[in-house]
Amino acid sequence: MEKQRATLKDYGYRDFTVMNKIYQILKKFLVVFIIFGLYISIIVIAIQSLNESRIISEFTRLSFKWYGNIFQEEELMQAIKNTFLVSGIATVLATFLGTFFAIGLYALSKKVRVIWMLLNNVPILNADIVTGFSLMLMFRLLMVVFPNIFGLFTLVMAHLFFTIPYVVLSVMPKLKETDPNLMDAALDLGVRPYKALIKVVIPAIKAGIFSGMLLALTMSIDDFVISYFNTGAGFDNLSIWIYAVIGRRNLTPSVYAFSTLLTLFTLLGLLIYSFLQKQKKGRKNEKNNINGRAS
Amino acid sequence: MNKEFKVLARPYMVWLSILVFVPILAMILISISNLNSSVSVGDLVISFSHFKLLLESSTLIAFRNSLFFATLTTLFSFVLGYFIAYEIKLSRFKNKFILLTIVILPMWSNLILRTESLANIMSENNILKSILGFNLFGNISGTGAAVLFGLVFTYMPFMILSVYTALEKIDFALEEAALDLGLSPIKKFWKVVFPLSLKGVVTGSIMVFLPTLAGFAIPKILSRGRIVFIGTIIENKFVYTNYNHGALLAVVILFFILGSILLLTKFDKEGETLL
Amino acid sequence: MKKIILMAGLLSLLLVLSACSSKPKLRILNWGEYINDELVENFEKEFGIDVVISVADSNELFYSKIKSKTTAFDLVIPSDYMIEKMVQEDMLLTLDYSKLPNFSSVTYMDGVEQIFTSMTETTFAATGDEVDFKAYAVPYFWGTFGIIYNNRVDGLEEALYTNGWDVYFEADNYFPTARRGMYDVPQFAFAAAMMYMDKNPNDYSLANLDLVRSVLETADFTEWGDDTLKRNVEADNLDMAFTYTGDYLDRLYIQLDEGKTLDEVREEFDLYIPDTTMVFIDAMVIPNTATNLDAAHQFINYLLNPENAALNAEVVGYAVATEEAFDIIMSYLESEDLTKKNWAIANSIYYNMEVERIYYPLTSLNPTDTDAIGTMVQNVITG
Repeated sequence: MEKQRATLKDYGYRDFTVMNKIYQILKKFLVVFIIFGLYISIIVIAIQSLNESRIISEFTRLSFKWYGNIFQEEELMQAIKNTFLVSGIATVLATFLGTFFAIGLYALSKKVRVIWMLLNNVPILNADIVTGFSLMLMFRLLMVVFPNIFGLFTLVMAHLFFTIPYVVLSVMPKLKETDPNLMDAALDLGVRPYKALIKVVIPAIKAGIFSGMLLALTMSIDDFVISYFNTGAGFDNLSIWIYAVIGRRNLTPSVYAFSTLLTLFTLLGLLIYSFLQKQKKGRKNEKNNINGRAS
Repeated sequence: MNKEFKVLARPYMVWLSILVFVPILAMILISISNLNSSVSVGDLVISFSHFKLLLESSTLIAFRNSLFFATLTTLFSFVLGYFIAYEIKLSRFKNKFILLTIVILPMWSNLILRTESLANIMSENNILKSILGFNLFGNISGTGAAVLFGLVFTYMPFMILSVYTALEKIDFALEEAALDLGLSPIKKFWKVVFPLSLKGVVTGSIMVFLPTLAGFAIPKILSRGRIVFIGTIIENKFVYTNYNHGALLAVVILFFILGSILLLTKFDKEGETLL
Repeated sequence: MKKIILMAGLLSLLLVLSACSSKPKLRILNWGEYINDELVENFEKEFGIDVVISVADSNELFYSKIKSKTTAFDLVIPSDYMIEKMVQEDMLLTLDYSKLPNFSSVTYMDGVEQIFTSMTETTFAATGDEVDFKAYAVPYFWGTFGIIYNNRVDGLEEALYTNGWDVYFEADNYFPTARRGMYDVPQFAFAAAMMYMDKNPNDYSLANLDLVRSVLETADFTEWGDDTLKRNVEADNLDMAFTYTGDYLDRLYIQLDEGKTLDEVREEFDLYIPDTTMVFIDAMVIPNTATNLDAAHQFINYLLNPENAALNAEVVGYAVATEEAFDIIMSYLESEDLTKKNWAIANSIYYNMEVERIYYPLTSLNPTDTDAIGTMVQNVITG
């Protein structure tokens, strides 16, 4: 009988190449499937916007007429304007306030902070319908003093209620990452605390502020239920308008056109942003090289 | 951080306390009284008569449906969302921000439009069929599968973001150390990476579970009104101005939410991955 | 950073300011896409009034929006049963007919008069009060309910015209393969089932509730929807659905716009109006929260003008309430303009008031009964 040699396997080495290959194939399949799942509805909306016919169950002919029509649809334009108005104001305010609130919360002792961060989660996790309805109850109490409160004001307030927590949440981790000495150094140099906050801390947490802003905008722009309960005086945003129209009458395909444009412009913005980023980095590297050569 | 900045948190504390607690108390009050739009506070009567709604077969089935679909949606979102988050983390593409934005971009389009368009292509004769000549989804409109598909791909971005945030915090040196110690890639994943990302998984699961549990638009549209969720009933109650019943069911949902928040604090004290 | 914040602050301030304007405002709460924009523009120009239209998608929302007082609407356009309820709860102002000079030159159509009478009767039965609803409301549009059916299914049309409601509710006996949809408004489902059993749809009792329940259970609908119903029949994804006649006309006009002929469309999907059916009326009322009463009256008076009512109907597609406006539409039967001609033909077919039918407007049930019907329907759906 031949003596068997110890193989690599016996030494604990295992060959993963086959498994790896299977994983690679599976991976590609999964990525495609997920992107498909996430984007199929967006694609269908785009197809509906390019359909000449108003009938969304059948594609008749390619046409861009609904894109031109966006500006002629008065109610739609008003709803779009209102959406940008509310989400714009709410996002700017939420970013601004949320950042400073986060800094304030971060200055608290850890024990106290944990409790407040817990409450901060409530608006994020609470059911929309509960938040919407209960905020309306609150604002109705204020109506005794301010009878014309419902409309832009209540809508912005309601949006602030659920957007600020997102900003606080995304700023907080960045605050923890900042070097505590940074602030001290600035103070030692005689800079006043609030000036130091703006000059030193804010730039350090920029990324967190930005992603918080993005999340706030995302949540605000698509909100329906909360807006629905808290609007008034004919101030309807896009989702309220769509819901009301889709329930009884026919939606103009221009809505699909607008939705598609929004997605396309965002994608385009992203590409430009990433291109600029690359350029910036490229230039930095170049500078470094030149400096390197010079020295 | 300078203790002086504590004052910055004050207004937020007032704001949160009022807007979180007062409405919840109001909801509870409405659910156990006859208070509604036509009853003034003067003739308020506390009564538990609304509670018999909880025993109605439709309420029980709606709760069962909501829990069942919320659980399944969370599971699918977890498997698929974790995978994507992990791939984004591993990807050589430098600008992770762009990849993440691509994931959340669909959320910028109106939820109802997206769901209606899904319902459109899931029915027997639809716009995609008129282009492709065959039915991409078969004819699943009105079934549980249609609802599940819609829910999973609507809420998965939350899972991806949370898991990614947790993964991003893992030190790569740890993974290398694990490999050096002879762990297989699979073992390395289960023993090192996964436990460290658990925080994100829990957060992501809650972010997917809760809106699914309380939602109504997606199941209503994709099941063609045949699968009733608890959110559907709550919405109906509010629409038909039965605030007492609506508030009662909302309070029940609230218990699930509070439970989730408590669970969350066990894993992630400050909600760092709650994004 | 400071500059950015300052800019942002200024920008939002500007935006807020630009949202205000000084003209007198008329706030209308209406259904979505339920008015001809051209009409609104003409009105705004003629009277120098800024018309602000909010939309909602159910009568119940109209009710809660007025009740919650979140907005001071000057004019609301709810349906019959909701008007009954609003009058019962003292939410409406009586109209000042001296400000509605156009009223004297129009005659309401028979069906409209029937609805007004019936509303008075149901309110009397419920509360013992004798209310003349014309004191509160001027009709905006009205219409019947019917069954939209898929005419691509052989024999369905004939079955419907011979057996009526039975085909829709007892599919197993007549058309086992037919996919059927029901409006997801519980009271509509209740009323339809009652009419199928030859009962008055407003006759609520626990015994009837049980009967309706078993009817709906046997019917086992493929879909409980709203406007999705008409689109699904049109797209061949559903074979029968109980909806507004106007829902059908909506799709019909769109198809005509696409270049199909009336006959072509009717071969694909058509509408059957049962001998006993529901009717509705949407009417303009002034809630007691109104602030601009003059403008509200001006608007109502403006719409009483038959020319304006016809112009509005041209876009909306429901039936006009006055004979004068209907005559204007009928005058288009000989029109050169194909769209107008088709519109007139459709009106003469589907709003032909010479056919003898029993019309039931829905009454406003008390909250407990409404709730019982709602729960019953939910129990049927969940099985």
